Amino acid sequence: MMDPLEGYRGRLADLDARLARARSHPEVLLARASGLLAGRTGCRVGEAHAYLVRLAAERRRPVHELAAEVLAALERVPPRGEAGLAATVEAALPSRRGPARHATLPPAPPPTLSPALPPTSPPTSPSAPPSALPSTGPSALPSTGPSALPRRAWVEAVRQVLDALPERHILILPEYDATGQVADYVIAAAAPSVVDLSGRGGAEILGRRMSEIYPSVVGGPIWDAWRETLRDGRPREVGPVPYTSSAERAPAEVLLTVKVWPVGGGLLQSWVRHDEETRLAERIAQTERLGNMGWAEWDLVAGQTRWSAGLYQIYERDPAAGPLPREESEALVLPEDLPVRREAAEAFGRGEAVDATFRIGVAGRVKHVRMVVDAVRDAAGVPVKVYGILQDVTARETSRLRLTEVEEQLREHQRILAAEHELAGRLQQIVLPMPREPIDLPGLRVAVRYLPAEQASRVGGDWYHAAPAGDGAVLLAVGDVAGHGIEAAAAMARLRHALAALSVTTTRDPARLLAALNRLLFAGDPTGPPRGGVPVTATAVVARYEPATGRLVWARAGHPPPLLARAGRTVELDRPGGPLLGAFPDARYSTTSTRMRPGDVLLLYTDGLVEHRRRNLDEGLAPVLAVLDRITAEPAPHPLADLLKQLRHANPDDDTCILAARPLLPGEAR
Amino acid sequence: MHEASVDTNDDGALRVTLRGEIDFTNSTEIHKIITDAVSERRPAAVRVDLAGVTFMDSTGIGVLVDAMRVALAAQADFRVENPTRRMLDQLRTTGLLTAFGLE
Repeated sequence: MMDPLEGYRGRLADLDARLARARSHPEVLLARASGLLAGRTGCRVGEAHAYLVRLAAERRRPVHELAAEVLAALERVPPRGEAGLAATVEAALPSRRGPARHATLPPAPPPTLSPALPPTSPPTSPSAPPSALPSTGPSALPSTGPSALPRRAWVEAVRQVLDALPERHILILPEYDATGQVADYVIAAAAPSVVDLSGRGGAEILGRRMSEIYPSVVGGPIWDAWRETLRDGRPREVGPVPYTSSAERAPAEVLLTVKVWPVGGGLLQSWVRHDEETRLAERIAQTERLGNMGWAEWDLVAGQTRWSAGLYQIYERDPAAGPLPREESEALVLPEDLPVRREAAEAFGRGEAVDATFRIGVAGRVKHVRMVVDAVRDAAGVPVKVYGILQDVTARETSRLRLTEVEEQLREHQRILAAEHELAGRLQQIVLPMPREPIDLPGLRVAVRYLPAEQASRVGGDWYHAAPAGDGAVLLAVGDVAGHGIEAAAAMARLRHALAALSVTTTRDPARLLAALNRLLFAGDPTGPPRGGVPVTATAVVARYEPATGRLVWARAGHPPPLLARAGRTVELDRPGGPLLGAFPDARYSTTSTRMRPGDVLLLYTDGLVEHRRRNLDEGLAPVLAVLDRITAEPAPHPLADLLKQLRHANPDDDTCILAARPLLPGEAR
Repeated sequence: MHEASVDTNDDGALRVTLRGEIDFTNSTEIHKIITDAVSERRPAAVRVDLAGVTFMDSTGIGVLVDAMRVALAAQADFRVENPTRRMLDQLRTTGLLTAFGLE
């Protein structure tokens, strides 16, 4: 049996642990530190929060770490009545590390300040009695009484106040000339968040003269306002007034509104740039335009709807007409897409954020819109305010749909090609059986290899021929019919059978054989190209080897000449003239000859072996030459098998046929 | 950009400009563009510009051969112009330089 009390204790301990974990969460730490700090200093929690974030940034430390430190310190130090934020944190934290803002301040008031320093009020400043000062705000600080507080301490106190203020404030002190007139102003304190229009921070402008850093202010309306406030002790607001900065990288001219309060013998002033709100609005509008977006806001409590300019554009509606009522905008949704929309509404009802894409009909056109909706809910989870962002994604959707269509067409095309390929493959097997082993012909050993195209649909019209010619000679040939598929395979079959028949019955001369094949192919389509396609052309090389003498005679029809490798050196044989087959009705071909020696290797090939889309033909040929050089450099028992094993085709789109031959040594024939 | 475009020169010649890779994937289409243009415009001469061609397989060569046949059948002078070095090599191997007016 378990002790019920122990179970209870266990649950308590568990709760405590969970609480401790939650309390050490960075955001919770910051919130607690801000709350405690606000309580101690009497400022708003938001101000304390902002102050801690700023301080952390200044000290280059993670904010939650600083918050934890402040929290621990404040919990140690008992409350001492209300004090400035900075002073409180200062007093609580044991010591400072890292760069601190005050460390960059001059240790004593800058020399320029001394002429303006009290002990006494300015000689010609008759007024500014304490009663004229506002009773609250910065002037509630220790006043200018000659002996009330040393001037330096007073400025320090103002600085602490400025530290705590969220807005941009600076304290300026007048400088008087010999006649008692104000000659200039010096910046005596600046809130840490102050950044002037030239991008200078508070620390950079501290201690400097107005005429020196903001010369365009001198003698202007702001300058006048300062003098007046010094004279009558009344706060003033000037503006909007145009201000031109003399500094580099500053906007040419901006509109400012300046507020000024008398503080002691000096002036506290803040300013607002008028273009800031406009800039923000412009940025939003630009974002909407760039992204084809718009947003809407539904205040469910007040029953109000707001639309941004972008949303009016998507719905092509006049902004003057106001937002579309909900029912009307729903009626624009295409009926097929209503389920999508309904599903989104249900998800929203369950408290989920919605992200749905559907179509609407606007002005006779269909638009694809993506809608992202989220809500602000009350404690019971009931939405109070709903925010929606709509994006017109028509362009994207349209291209996606078109892509799907094209893909479907492509698949259909591939199905047809696959069927064709199968047929072509069978035809090729029937017409052109490839011997696996080298074949021995009179005086010559021959090996052939067919390297099919990588893609199934690319079976082409490459062919070879190797057979005795009938007069003791051997006829070798390799050819390539342009194109792929059934037509190419059929043309290949015609050419190959014709060559075999002609070489036995009509002629054994390579040139005359090619002329005959050309006539055959040209006459093959007397009425023009089949199926409206490109007419069939082909290339071929035909060679005749006479074993008794080792003489090799060859002719070519638009085809690369054979390669001859001898003792580690390979050459491309001469190119007797002759155009490709099927192009000219009366093409003529000529022959050239050479003599082969034992140990030589002859290679006939089709261009898939060397032809590459990104390389020159020379570059494609180089690796083939290198293999041939290597194979024939030293005598080897199986040079042909070695050669065929090492050759790879350059163009994976094209099939390749290679035929290698070498003279048989005496007694070698099987 | 399309691989083939057809234009008429100032001298009335039909100018066929080929670009990129001419192979089995587009040769049927290009063949049709050229045959249609020749039969519609009946030009006195046909010029095929190969300056922009980066690759041509055997079906592409077939397209050129057929363009020549169609032009000659229509009694038009036929010439191939601006072949790259690689194209020139290829046309030399296939024995087409003379017929294409390149030598």
